[in-house]
Amino acid sequence: MVAVLGCALVCLQQQSYAEKIPHGEYAKMAIKECNDCHKGEGIAPNHDADFLRGHRVLAVKAGNNCNQCHQQKWCLDCHQGGGTGDDLGQSNFGRDYKPKSHRSDFISIHPIKALDNPQQCYRCHEAGSFCNSCHSRFPKGSLRIKSHLMLGTNGQTVNWAIGEHATEARRNLQSCQTCHPEGDVCIKCHSSGKTRPHPRNWKAGNFRDRSNGKVCQKCHLPGTF
Amino acid sequence: MGLQWILRTLACIPLLTATTAWSAEIHGRSSTQFLWFDNASTEKKQAEFAQYLNLSITNIDEAGKLSFYGYGRATQDVRNGEGLNGRVYYLYADYRDLYDKIDLRFGRQFVNYAAGSALIDGGQIELKKAGPVAFSVMGGRNVFFDLDGEATSSRDYVFGAAAYLTGIKGTDAELSYFLKFDKDGVARDQIGGSFKQYIFNSLKVYTNARFDLPSETFSELLAGVKYFPRSNLVLTGEWYQSYPTFDSTSIYSVFAVNRYQEGVFRADYAFNDKVSINAGYNRQDYGAGANADVFEVGCRIRPIEQVQVSLNYDHRSGYGGKLNGGIAEILYEPIKPLELAAGIHFDVYERDRVTGEETARKYWGGARYKLRRDMSASVRIEDNVNARFTSDWQGRAAFNYDF
Repeated sequence: MVAVLGCALVCLQQQSYAEKIPHGEYAKMAIKECNDCHKGEGIAPNHDADFLRGHRVLAVKAGNNCNQCHQQKWCLDCHQGGGTGDDLGQSNFGRDYKPKSHRSDFISIHPIKALDNPQQCYRCHEAGSFCNSCHSRFPKGSLRIKSHLMLGTNGQTVNWAIGEHATEARRNLQSCQTCHPEGDVCIKCHSSGKTRPHPRNWKAGNFRDRSNGKVCQKCHLPGTF
Repeated sequence: MGLQWILRTLACIPLLTATTAWSAEIHGRSSTQFLWFDNASTEKKQAEFAQYLNLSITNIDEAGKLSFYGYGRATQDVRNGEGLNGRVYYLYADYRDLYDKIDLRFGRQFVNYAAGSALIDGGQIELKKAGPVAFSVMGGRNVFFDLDGEATSSRDYVFGAAAYLTGIKGTDAELSYFLKFDKDGVARDQIGGSFKQYIFNSLKVYTNARFDLPSETFSELLAGVKYFPRSNLVLTGEWYQSYPTFDSTSIYSVFAVNRYQEGVFRADYAFNDKVSINAGYNRQDYGAGANADVFEVGCRIRPIEQVQVSLNYDHRSGYGGKLNGGIAEILYEPIKPLELAAGIHFDVYERDRVTGEETARKYWGGARYKLRRDMSASVRIEDNVNARFTSDWQGRAAFNYDF
């Protein structure tokens, strides 16, 4: 198999293939001129108003020529929160700069914005630790989450059934993790022998093997899973 | 750890300067800043000095193959006693075209595969020009930050490999693998794929996917088409779905979740050099009958050469809450070295009927003056008026020196 692959590689190397045009020398051109040339070559214009939303597809390895014009700084100023003040329109969150997708009072509107594709927060922020560093400070019941609204005559009781926590959790489980990173509150009801939390076609062995059984042992006794 | 990296980098600068005798080129930017803001953790006003350093050293060897790149910052709080803080974004050595085929990169760097991305302390090796296919492998310590600094533990590592097309005109394709470890074992085990095809001189078809091996599901799947009949018109249609997947070592990986789906349609059109517009619609499906709709419009206008106006508005309604808002900004260059800018962010939002509508506004203004070709000074001030503050002023002043 290795020999076949090796021969294939040698054969492929003997042939000549088209190389992408180096773009570094065009870095300071107007976008309109870029688009005219792209259209002429049958390549879709980019760096347009849709770039913030769509650049993920362009930035993977295949076809990536970002580094001909940009250093990694250009990515990380947004992805890791830095900046040397080039863009006056760029705001701060504390000492970090933040992208324009985080507009106005983002602390207040982020529960809504975070629902627009729940995966996108994790492209820049580590799941759990980043969110939890803020959420852990909130006193119980202070967050205005539908499933957590306090009921009862004293306003101090959480009614899980009325609060639709199961429906909410299935739609937006990431938000549970932001306040309960270890899931202890979930395990109270969902541990072994109680309400089963697993999806249909649950691949228990895959998770057991990868976590050395540690995840399973949060609910199940050793040797029972 | 991050601070140590910065101090080491700063300590090396005199040595790097000495290398100019070997014709190495040293370029970069030093940015000295003063920032004042509301600290969300302590809820106190904080004031800090920050020093950024962005550095590239190229042509170190005779053939010009070896380069060094670095970028980091150090901050010193002068009001709340939070002291010295630091962050190294990257610091790596880059050796290109070994045997005319291999690129090597070692140090802290950002790596992005279709299967996953990470900031690593490690290495990346690329075998290029192996026919139409190139190969990449990477591995190292997984670096990530929380609000206070680097949050990496001693057993956070990532590894990955990718094979991708390089020599076929109009076609890009990648197949990659991403493996992440944490203290409890294998946290992420994913295969990624990406494909782009340009056809008929006016169509781009693309897809992007991540397959999560432990749950045996596509954690993300994107399929899209861009139609560009003219160079100033792009029509985009996309379908995206995701199953929220968690680290295999997290208890959250065992829970059943709903599939999230969204469809996007948008149009981007430039009338001429002075006016361009965009509009889009996004339909979101959270499962079990929960949906949301997002409409978006925007325009950029350049009435005269020195003025640029940018307007964006979006309206969201449905599951999760309502949001109406946008950004208006203006940029004005009265004379060549001076740039003035101002803007407003405005949002009216309602998370649920119990809380009712609330409003958030941000007013900002700024100016930058180019003192010399390699020197500029800027200041940016903003006021936040929202449910948490009747007025919250924050801003930054920066002095940048390019070398």
